[in-house]
Amino acid sequence: MTEAQSTADAVTVSADPAAADRGIGGAAVSGERQLEVTSSKPSGGADAGARARQLAPLIGWMIGAGLLIASFGLLTQLYTGQVRTVTTIFTFVGLASAWNLIGGFTGYACFGQVGFFGLGGYATAVFMTHYGLDFWIALPLSAAIAAGFAALVGWPLLRLRGHYFAVATLGVAEGLREIVINLPNLTGGGGGITIPTAGADAPTPWLGNDGFYVLFLLLAATTVGVAGFVSRHRSGYALRAIHQDEEAAAAIGINTTKAKILAFAGSAALTSAIGSAYAFQQVTIFPERLFDVHLTVLMVVMVVLGGAGTVFGPVIGAVLIAYASEWLRQELPQGHSFALGGLIVIAVILLPQGISNYVRDGLREKRFSMLDNIRRYRL
Amino acid sequence: MNQFLQATIYGLLQGCMFGLVAVGFSLVWGVMHVINLAHGAFVLLGAYLAWQLHAAFGLDPFLGMLPAGIVLFAFGYALQRGLINLVVNAPIFITLLLTFGLELLLVNGLILVFTADYRSIPTTYAGRSFVLPGDIHIPFGRLIAAGGAIAVTSGLFYVIRRTRTGLAILATGMDRGAARLMGIGARHVYALTFGIAAGLAGMAGAAVGAVNTFSPADAGRYTLLSFVAAVLGGLGNTSGALIGGLLLGLVEAWGGQLLGGTWINAVAFAVLVLVLAIRPQGLVGKAYYASRVEV
Repeated sequence: MTEAQSTADAVTVSADPAAADRGIGGAAVSGERQLEVTSSKPSGGADAGARARQLAPLIGWMIGAGLLIASFGLLTQLYTGQVRTVTTIFTFVGLASAWNLIGGFTGYACFGQVGFFGLGGYATAVFMTHYGLDFWIALPLSAAIAAGFAALVGWPLLRLRGHYFAVATLGVAEGLREIVINLPNLTGGGGGITIPTAGADAPTPWLGNDGFYVLFLLLAATTVGVAGFVSRHRSGYALRAIHQDEEAAAAIGINTTKAKILAFAGSAALTSAIGSAYAFQQVTIFPERLFDVHLTVLMVVMVVLGGAGTVFGPVIGAVLIAYASEWLRQELPQGHSFALGGLIVIAVILLPQGISNYVRDGLREKRFSMLDNIRRYRL
Repeated sequence: MNQFLQATIYGLLQGCMFGLVAVGFSLVWGVMHVINLAHGAFVLLGAYLAWQLHAAFGLDPFLGMLPAGIVLFAFGYALQRGLINLVVNAPIFITLLLTFGLELLLVNGLILVFTADYRSIPTTYAGRSFVLPGDIHIPFGRLIAAGGAIAVTSGLFYVIRRTRTGLAILATGMDRGAARLMGIGARHVYALTFGIAAGLAGMAGAAVGAVNTFSPADAGRYTLLSFVAAVLGGLGNTSGALIGGLLLGLVEAWGGQLLGGTWINAVAFAVLVLVLAIRPQGLVGKAYYASRVEV
């Protein structure tokens, strides 16, 4: 790339510093390309294009419903070990889609998402162990607590942007973990807490492998459904507008504070519900596992590699990475994290805009060279 | 009173080390807008390098700071030049993920080579301590480590403020477009910056190895520590990182005296979040980071 070209690239970034600061999948870049395409299209094709755009959400919902039914069918075909693997994949589909609400649509780099996961898990464990609450009551209650907590910390923290927001949320999650460790009477501290799941004092008996398969499938489906609804709803457009340029969004009358807090709280509630189900599935939970920073990073990796700010991108990313991770764990028990690290490095360099955006743009422009991706962001 | 004084001294010595660990992280953040999640892994690479040199040639770990720094400088330079420069203009997530992938590679590579066991580099003198009147102990090893940390960071400030190379780094951090128009090769300067940061982390690692135990699993802890110190000192403000590290060391030592158990960690994160919410430019210094021009 010549110096002149690179300066031109740089100028488009600087035109929207706020979005570039917070941005993920290069929303500014893709928006710009959309503009190019619409202007170069002959006017006769506009009608067909509009109709296709109206049909797109319907097709999306149909694909989603088909996948849901197929997943139920899949359950009858799997061995016990495979059921557990697929359940893990559903867990990550849900987590990635939930993170996508705040990180992908809104463009706020939440690096403390695992805090809500742990909060949900521990709230459920405490309710079930100390208060004998039914799991089906504890789960929505945990989600509500996480939503309230997110709204509370989100109110001051969502004013921060870019790296500042990322570090602040990271601090919140680490702080939550420390609080859990330091309340041994309530949470068992570092030694973990065990939910009674069998016998007379169990509020809800353990659901079994198939039961948890269905539970995580439904949670993942709910989360993806919420993302699908938001992506075509007024609120979703508001979030995207905030992602692209927050000042402009405020100027056209979007209540940005309200929209951001709603997205943050919704994302937190969904993550917390999944954490709650995870705690029940694991029976014994430890702060090190439930507040593991690597979980947050995995969510981000899945969303970014799948395609941030899209509905199916995070699903694709979660399925691919969760499956690759499980496969590596079985094939390379010693070096699976090493291999996963290498995989992430290669994928980030070659596919920075995510798989779904890459395929969509590639189909539109008939260019599939991954070298273009490298040229876009290199110095 | 003596106990308080002892805690203060211990905290200051520890804080100097924290500062050395954090200063490279802060430099990379300020100049390149990159959060290097692999920073803790660099610290451990330095520690293992010093350990290996000690095991093979009996080299003193504090002398081992030098080779550790040089090797990690070369490694960091190559890494930035060959890999990170490819995505340096991308949104923050991309660089975060890339460095996270690097962290996984390095930490698990270290586990494969050295196992996950805790190690330390034994010396005959590091365990001894001066005893001041009032029964206040100053551990000898930590004193050397703190002195080394201060010397190295002072050297860094001299290089950054007083040499052409350092000024080129500062200029590139402030406005890359303008710096390039002035004939500064941004690719080389970025690689140099990352190399310096990695070299500082390597030196910190060798010093850490001499006074503490370490294992590859500590990488995340050191990255997080750099985060907190860098934020307390003001993001991207290099001298602030040293002050942030000192502050962190003091808070940890005093908190350990006042609060029971590990509540101090919870307090540290609460302070971190509060500082960010109220004074995002850090406790010391002005908003250097916010004044950067994005080109």
